[in-house]
Amino acid sequence: MRDPIDLKPMLKPKSVAIIGVSRNPDKVGHIILQNYLNAGYSGRLYLVNKSGEEILGMETYKSILEIKDRIDLAVISIPAQFVPEVLEECGKAKVKSAVVVSGGFAEIGEKALQDEITTIAEKYKIAMLGPNCLGVVDPRSRVDTLFLPTYKLSRPEIGGVSFVAQSGAVGSTILDLISGEGFGLSKFISYGNAAYVDEVDILNYLMNDEETRVIVMYIEGIKRAREFVEIAKKVTKKKPVIVLKAGKTAEGSAAAHSHTAALAGSYQAHEAIFRQFGFIIANDISELFFYAKVFASEPEPNGGRVAVITNGGGVGVLTVDAVSSSGMLSLAQFSKESSNALKKVMPTLVNIRNPLDLAGDADDKRYSQALSVLSSDNGIDMLIVIALFQTPGADSRLATELIRLKENMQKPMLVLSIGAEFTKMHKIMMESAGLPVYDSPASIALALEALLKYSIYKKKH
Amino acid sequence: MLLDYFEGKKVLDRYGIRSIESKYVESSEDAVKFAGEEKLVLKLISEKQLHKSKAGLVKLDLSDHESIVKAYKELEAKGRALHPYRIIAQKMVRGGVEIIIGGNEDPQFGKMVLLGLGGIYVEAFKDFALRLCPITSQDALDMIDQLKSRKVVTYDGEATVRIRDLLVRTSKLLYENRDIKELDLNPVVVRSDGYDVVDIRILK
Repeated sequence: MRDPIDLKPMLKPKSVAIIGVSRNPDKVGHIILQNYLNAGYSGRLYLVNKSGEEILGMETYKSILEIKDRIDLAVISIPAQFVPEVLEECGKAKVKSAVVVSGGFAEIGEKALQDEITTIAEKYKIAMLGPNCLGVVDPRSRVDTLFLPTYKLSRPEIGGVSFVAQSGAVGSTILDLISGEGFGLSKFISYGNAAYVDEVDILNYLMNDEETRVIVMYIEGIKRAREFVEIAKKVTKKKPVIVLKAGKTAEGSAAAHSHTAALAGSYQAHEAIFRQFGFIIANDISELFFYAKVFASEPEPNGGRVAVITNGGGVGVLTVDAVSSSGMLSLAQFSKESSNALKKVMPTLVNIRNPLDLAGDADDKRYSQALSVLSSDNGIDMLIVIALFQTPGADSRLATELIRLKENMQKPMLVLSIGAEFTKMHKIMMESAGLPVYDSPASIALALEALLKYSIYKKKH
Repeated sequence: MLLDYFEGKKVLDRYGIRSIESKYVESSEDAVKFAGEEKLVLKLISEKQLHKSKAGLVKLDLSDHESIVKAYKELEAKGRALHPYRIIAQKMVRGGVEIIIGGNEDPQFGKMVLLGLGGIYVEAFKDFALRLCPITSQDALDMIDQLKSRKVVTYDGEATVRIRDLLVRTSKLLYENRDIKELDLNPVVVRSDGYDVVDIRILK
């Protein structure tokens, strides 16, 4: 069992060298440079290119050894056969970390070449990520080693969700999708073949990273199973980890073997371990988002009693169905005090019971009055606020009022809004302010259930 | 390698897991004597056939001299193709819920312990819970809670406590005995006044 590798030089580098930078705008090395410039990285940036030619008006070095500065991160994007030599030079130049973007290693059977670079990384203690990986994005330090142009793949805002993916393809699509969500990104780490830095090091770093509130992982196989178990036990005591494991079926598993040269061990054993150590298991990409969103903003609930407030009767009933069929959640009973207080402020057409149907003409004031009463009811642990923006009373004032109410809310409060453009506009507005919005009763129930399950795990283990 | 039934029983005894009273019998008279006034089960044990019930190697509910002799002869006949074999006699267990407690070794993580509703259900509904050994009491309770059939399995509070303890003991057994590769306690009959491990299969 080796000590965990520190990823700080990679994620918070004061100096970066891009090795294999190119004049050709279609080349990976060029796109990485362009992304660094677009992101506005403010550290010291150096370019290395064998020819030593000037690129985008910037000076280049023929070798990393020519750079006098101490380099925290080297981004290596050159053909695989040259990587050992360049990494050796990085070692001699005392480079602290490296992202090897280049493919052509174990994933195509070149195990010996991969072992060679691992040995070099170990020898010089270079925190090496990859090879065959997308690398890292940290919107706070503005590090972005992705070779995917920003006009094709949007980069998320700053936030508390860290995303870890072995696969570059799954990683990049999810990164793209996160940028369309209201919650922001803390770190993105795509670690490819995991020749040196692996999921154990990454979990260890993110566990102690104060900028990370939620960890989301996409895993194909685990390299060091025993060490993984040890870190898994520790990390979930500190923060939630949401995991999507590929290879659920035998066919999926066989495909994973040839994909990232990873052993997608038996899915059931993995799932058992995730469960045992309190991970939240997602069954597909959309579930990752349901969970990431709720954990990014919501406090731990005291229990599973849910109040539903709605401006549409039918959606209220569907939501009650979803809550009741979850097995862990239940419909809350309003206290006498709450019921009396609601009777005083609600119009007579509002039936005082859970779900509380505020009627189709409900406006921001009616929501505000209802939520003010229910937020202090001790028989309620969580709130689902259904806001259907198609109704006459619901507009931006409602979204603003819900955001305001959320600020003082001690309990989890989630919004359910179903609809097209007008609704989406308000969804983004609310989510950017830290109020999670869902678009189906089933997904909101799943999210609340996961929130409750994790809080129970933390209390019991 | 399949561990001898009584060697397996001894291993369970060491961990305080009680299994039903059993005896190897060499003749039908032997079996009749062992039965006394109680109902009997006869089983043929052979490494060549691991699915005893499916292969008709388990004779249940034998209540009189005649049925015991008949069952014994049938097993002997089947045994010809399954050499070497032994015939084991057990007292018949009545009532209760059948569960399965098992263990195996995952090539990456190591020993795992399993709980499921017994009989055909664990296979048919894939309703089981799995954990890495060693487990805590809380892990064992979580396993029970994870079963879709938990309401069948834990029909009373006592049953929950008994299954929890059985799981913790089995997990300890698996964890401490590196040479045991697979283990099946199938079925374990859980009743309101106790439990019985009815069949033991341990592979080294």
